[in-house]
Amino acid sequence: MPYFTVFKMRLRMELQYRGAMIGGIACQMFFGLILVALYRALYAGKPQSIPIESVATYVWLQQAFFRMMLASDSELVDKIRSGDIAYDMCRPVDMYGFYYARIMAQKLMGSLMRAVPMLIVAFLLPKGWGISLPASFLELLAALPALLLGLLCVCALENITVAFTMKTLDPRGMQGLLNLLMMTLSGNLFPLTLFPESWQKIITFLPYAQLLDAPIRLYTGEYLPQEAFRIYGIQAFWAVILIALGVSMWNANKRRMIVQGG
Amino acid sequence: MNTLRLYIKSIGMLLKSHLQYPSSFIMQTLAQLVMEGGEMMVVILIVDRFESLKGWSGGNLYFFFGIMSVSFYLTEMFGRGITGDFPSMVRTGRLDTFLVRPRGVLTQVLCGGTDPRRISCIAVGVAALIMGSNLSNIAWNPLKVLVLVESIAMSCLLILGLFMIEAIFCIFSVKSVELVNAITYGGRSACQYPIDIYPLPLRALFTVIAPFALTMHVPAAWIMDKPLYGWPIWTAFVTPLSGAVVFAVMTALFHLALRHYRSTGS
Amino acid sequence: MSYIEVKNLKKNFTVKKKHEKGKLLREKEIVNALKEVSFSVDKGELVGYIGPNGAGKSTTVKILSGILTPDGGEVTVGGIVPWKERKRHVRNIGVVFGQRSQLWWDVPIIDSYMLLRDIYRIPQGDYESRLKELTSALQLEELMRTPLRLLSLGQRMRAELCGSLLHRPQLLFLDEPTIGLDAVSKLALRDFLKWENNEYGTTIMLTTHDMEDIEALCSRVMVLGHGKKLFDGKLPDLLERYDTVRNVNIKYEGTITDLRLPEGVSCSHTEDGIELSYNPTKLPTSKFLGLLQEAGNISELTLQPQNTDHMIAAMYKELDL
Repeated sequence: MPYFTVFKMRLRMELQYRGAMIGGIACQMFFGLILVALYRALYAGKPQSIPIESVATYVWLQQAFFRMMLASDSELVDKIRSGDIAYDMCRPVDMYGFYYARIMAQKLMGSLMRAVPMLIVAFLLPKGWGISLPASFLELLAALPALLLGLLCVCALENITVAFTMKTLDPRGMQGLLNLLMMTLSGNLFPLTLFPESWQKIITFLPYAQLLDAPIRLYTGEYLPQEAFRIYGIQAFWAVILIALGVSMWNANKRRMIVQGG
Repeated sequence: MNTLRLYIKSIGMLLKSHLQYPSSFIMQTLAQLVMEGGEMMVVILIVDRFESLKGWSGGNLYFFFGIMSVSFYLTEMFGRGITGDFPSMVRTGRLDTFLVRPRGVLTQVLCGGTDPRRISCIAVGVAALIMGSNLSNIAWNPLKVLVLVESIAMSCLLILGLFMIEAIFCIFSVKSVELVNAITYGGRSACQYPIDIYPLPLRALFTVIAPFALTMHVPAAWIMDKPLYGWPIWTAFVTPLSGAVVFAVMTALFHLALRHYRSTGS
Repeated sequence: MSYIEVKNLKKNFTVKKKHEKGKLLREKEIVNALKEVSFSVDKGELVGYIGPNGAGKSTTVKILSGILTPDGGEVTVGGIVPWKERKRHVRNIGVVFGQRSQLWWDVPIIDSYMLLRDIYRIPQGDYESRLKELTSALQLEELMRTPLRLLSLGQRMRAELCGSLLHRPQLLFLDEPTIGLDAVSKLALRDFLKWENNEYGTTIMLTTHDMEDIEALCSRVMVLGHGKKLFDGKLPDLLERYDTVRNVNIKYEGTITDLRLPEGVSCSHTEDGIELSYNPTKLPTSKFLGLLQEAGNISELTLQPQNTDHMIAAMYKELDL
């Protein structure tokens, strides 16, 4: 299974960069702390219907899984820029699957290894500053499949970005735009729960909200556990659409490259 | 003076090479605009939902955001050699070529990089400043303009100084760049809001160690007629100078670090 | 006192060892890149500095050019200690690193030169006359308006040389200048270096792996290994010591039955016959030829001295480098 091999290889590579990881965790914790402090100050002036504890939890979960959002494969981008991707396209495995596995390994390991220590520390912070436990075990249980579906979506999204960058001459500009879209609409820059209510109706249906916003809302009880299957449905819908779109874009690129001769 | 001329010439040349790829340049400039616009949108959303922040009005918040944005991206535009390119200068051995020329190393590093794409971020910052100024009904006078210019200039030096920590780590080939990001990019994120909303340890960090509060918040508060920390008025003129102090200290450390520079093998 | 004086030069590097399992911190190891190296070079000398990879050549050059600070010993170049008065020192030197560029990648090389003029504060008149001289000597006239990235490797090296000599340095360091160049470019480069050395008495120190560079250019050669100076003198004197092997190319009429050779003789069959090499001090030539004749009818035989690369390899081997 080439997909499994590439997955394992990336896992091992991720494990090598321990130093960078510790630095990354400290930095991410610091960002989380700043954001929580900001929202606490804002709440002191004008409390909202969503309790501050939920906002703090939202912030910490976003920070903990930040690596999942980040375009993870700089090597791949370099390959596109240099044109070496053409060699990969000619290998006898399905390249979409190959890179999907690779990106997933990176995102999963990168974010889990950072998330676990961060969440432990965030649990130890005083109430209202740190992350709070969900109201019931059921909510935690409901959030986990949503997180997995979110991971499927985000990997599909990144593959689409990659396919896009292969077409445009300048990958950096395009990537910047797509990244910003992801940061804003996934709730990393500002919790989606604090967006104007009318906007939320649309934003929560968009693919970006499926990555982390949906699982977090299930965790904090914003979405009730009985709604879980409806949420999974939306997530699965997007996962299928995004993967189908990605595959067709990759195939189109492949055809184009073969025609051009690399 | 000669050094300044050299800098301007170098930047001119770099600009020339950036413009060799015009479509890429325009695309990236636009991307930067959208990105900084996104940051600004967050402030707008906050003002929309919360109206004010610990006694600071929406207009005040835009003004703070604008000062940070202009200072930060001016630094990134003109100090790119330190804020972005330095690690690659060490890796590719460009630092070696700087060391065999009869000019200051820091001068050459700064001459070696510029990021004109940031112009669009600066534009967003300026827009935020104007918006903030109008909404806060700031009564401008020459002194206030002077303090604003001082504040921005000193903030730039401060930011450059903070990025030099990263450069120093890089000289010692320590790979903890992400940790330094906490104070540079983290400082930007935190200090684009008024400092007094934060708990004491954070306030202390951004007043004593990375004194954004002194280069930015104290003078900005005075400009908006809202003295910060309850300090007397003259402090608004003096405290920004701490940016220059940080820069001077980091410059000295930078040169000290260069004595231990190992140069990449060959 | 000589122009360059190096006494007991020492430089250590701490290297992090590979991460071992079960240990939290990586262990560090101190590597002595240079152990008490001493030499002196007079003005106008053309010195080759050779040694296997990792011998400390680049480290020496980097200390002499003011990039690195040594851990011990004394160095003066024209009376200046390089790392103490870096700016004053580097005004008099030019450095060309074979694999890295000091010119700007995306702009025409003339623009790079103008910036170098400003960096070195070269008066306009001096700059113009020097540039004219260098561009004609290096055949760069046609290329002045071409961005560096569009130049071939050989053209790029010439452009680099021009850039590093604009300010008329008294001392020129070349770190593997001919690496990757084709034969024509190599020859042109060597001619130019000889010309520059003759015309202006520029002291030149070059490190290289290409022994032809040394043979063509250097009256003096220094060998460095394991951070120590192993030889310092004329190239022929160095070669004499290690010139122990002779190469023989031999062809027989028809096929040969058996060629029995004693130990220490290497043998390889090629399309052009058989290549052999032997050591005349261990196996007398007459005896060797006798052995060859016993094997069959010799149709052709050539005897050649060993080439320089082999001698250097033999030297490195003998010195356990």
